[in-house]
Amino acid sequence: MSIRTAASTVESIQAGNHTDGRVRRNKPVWYGFLGVVMLATAWPVWLRLSEGLAVTDLTSQMPWGAWIAFYIFFVGLSAGAFLLSSLVYVFGMHQFERIGRAALLSAIVSMGVALAFVGFDLGRFERGPITLIFFHWTSPLSWEVRFYVIYIALLTAELVIALRVHKRMVWSVKKSLRWLKILGTVGLPLAIFGVHGGTGTIFAVVKARGMWFGGLFPVIFVVSAMVSGTALLILVHYWQSRASYRRPSKSLLNGLGVVLSGVLAVDLGLLFYEFVVPLLASEHQDLSIITVMTTGPFWWSFWIVQLLCGMIIPFVILVVPRFRANTPAVVLAATMVVIGIVAVRFNIVVPALIPPIIEGYPSNDYFPTLVEWASSAFFIAGGMLVYSLIAEWMPIHEPDPVDELEEDSMVSPEKEVKA
Amino acid sequence: MVIDLQKCVGCDSCTVACKAENRTPPGISYNVVLEDEQGTFPNVRRVNVPRPCMQCDEPPCVAVCPVNATYKADDGTVVIDADRCIGCRYCITACPYGARSFDFGETYSDEMQGYDDVQSPEWGVDRGARGSYKPPVGTVRKCTFCVHRLAHGEEPACCETCIGDARYFGDLNDPNSKVSKLVADPRAYRLKEELGTKPRVYYLR
Repeated sequence: MSIRTAASTVESIQAGNHTDGRVRRNKPVWYGFLGVVMLATAWPVWLRLSEGLAVTDLTSQMPWGAWIAFYIFFVGLSAGAFLLSSLVYVFGMHQFERIGRAALLSAIVSMGVALAFVGFDLGRFERGPITLIFFHWTSPLSWEVRFYVIYIALLTAELVIALRVHKRMVWSVKKSLRWLKILGTVGLPLAIFGVHGGTGTIFAVVKARGMWFGGLFPVIFVVSAMVSGTALLILVHYWQSRASYRRPSKSLLNGLGVVLSGVLAVDLGLLFYEFVVPLLASEHQDLSIITVMTTGPFWWSFWIVQLLCGMIIPFVILVVPRFRANTPAVVLAATMVVIGIVAVRFNIVVPALIPPIIEGYPSNDYFPTLVEWASSAFFIAGGMLVYSLIAEWMPIHEPDPVDELEEDSMVSPEKEVKA
Repeated sequence: MVIDLQKCVGCDSCTVACKAENRTPPGISYNVVLEDEQGTFPNVRRVNVPRPCMQCDEPPCVAVCPVNATYKADDGTVVIDADRCIGCRYCITACPYGARSFDFGETYSDEMQGYDDVQSPEWGVDRGARGSYKPPVGTVRKCTFCVHRLAHGEEPACCETCIGDARYFGDLNDPNSKVSKLVADPRAYRLKEELGTKPRVYYLR
């Protein structure tokens, strides 16, 4: 059967799908929810724009807070989602093919949200674009801004090609797939070393602060990016399937669960080294930060949210085959991981800035203000809105026609072209 | 700059002079006096460590600035260009001495008449009245060693006001200057020397 007729058959099947009515009824609820969140939080956003950073709980001794934590959280989601998409487009792992485009779109939107957060955090946000004009080679941040721009451009190109392959709007599927492979291969080091490793480097070069300074940090960033990106795609696939009344693919979720448990294990190992080295060496600056993290007023965010909810429980769920085969359990694990990684990001940014920078200074304390929380909700809801609208407009989640007809038996690109 | 800690009585008048001279807004003080208690009772002593900007020769704050808004000037001071700074505050996290501050736009105008009408000509730039979103608001600020005073041949305000004459200001590149001689003293040390930032402020312990 030719590809074109296969595609049109599926489309006609889908058009007559009895679930369409229910999907239509669900939509106003979702968009209404996002709209209410964004309307409710528009005022705090305006407050920050008109009053400046005085509306935050930040001070000169506590220069970074919630927005920077969310910025690195979304950079991580983006890099992780992209690395997952490379499993499809570079390494040809067909079992993940169904989420290839969703992974690319999540990566682009997450990066946009990350840039919104970091731009919003600038004292003079209107000067943000000059970071592209003036370059300072010793500043990781200066490199990062450039990497982010290249990364978004590359991801967009990749998504466009992937969409056109999906719609069979290309001259040659084979050539397009090769292009996807090339772009994905270029993107791999860009995402690992440039985008997320680089974001870790922003912190790792700061020798004034314990726990940030050191070579392990960029590695931890990349691994935790994989953790959060994989968990995000489990959630995207599951909820998108539920919302459109398709059955979430069990084999896909199982496969993603295996990946997630693997990267979680590596992440736990790195966390162990991150703590054991300064503890054994009794490095005083690191120790003071570890003390803040584990026994300070936000001890629960480390012990309960980051460690228990974000790492240990999901890891147990995902390594036990019986739990991993259970879709709700996998979704629960992924949700816990994403929440846990938010805590990881806060625990990176905040505790390192709490102890006095120099003897004689008082300790800082920081808790994000309502304006900081509310504007964060605004950007997160905004990201979800943009993602949903694009997914509505473009075939991001539709199963590939060929897969559907051949009952999940994946067709390799070479075979497709012959057919 | 050399600060003799044996002569410092911890009166904080350097901090006051600095605030008056540079008209820094609430929450910002280019100079502070750190108080450190050493030993256990009854064998205790208190050391006052005045802390201006160290004007490091290897400034970690300058290294991380993404837009070159802060740099090491020819006269040895670490300068911030308030017309270029984007306010990312990366330099604040990188400074091991806590010598940098962010201008949140706060003002003393409620308690001090005419506070906003004039600003100190920092780095020799006359910026006129202080506005709610006019540089340096929204940028990072720091001790300038009062370069606008140096231009007139005056000492920085903290040195001039010090009641115990604990602060010495001069040219460390001139081997015959008083500061060069003091730095050669075995009492001389610098803060967090192990970081390799090469501060230009020495202390005599």
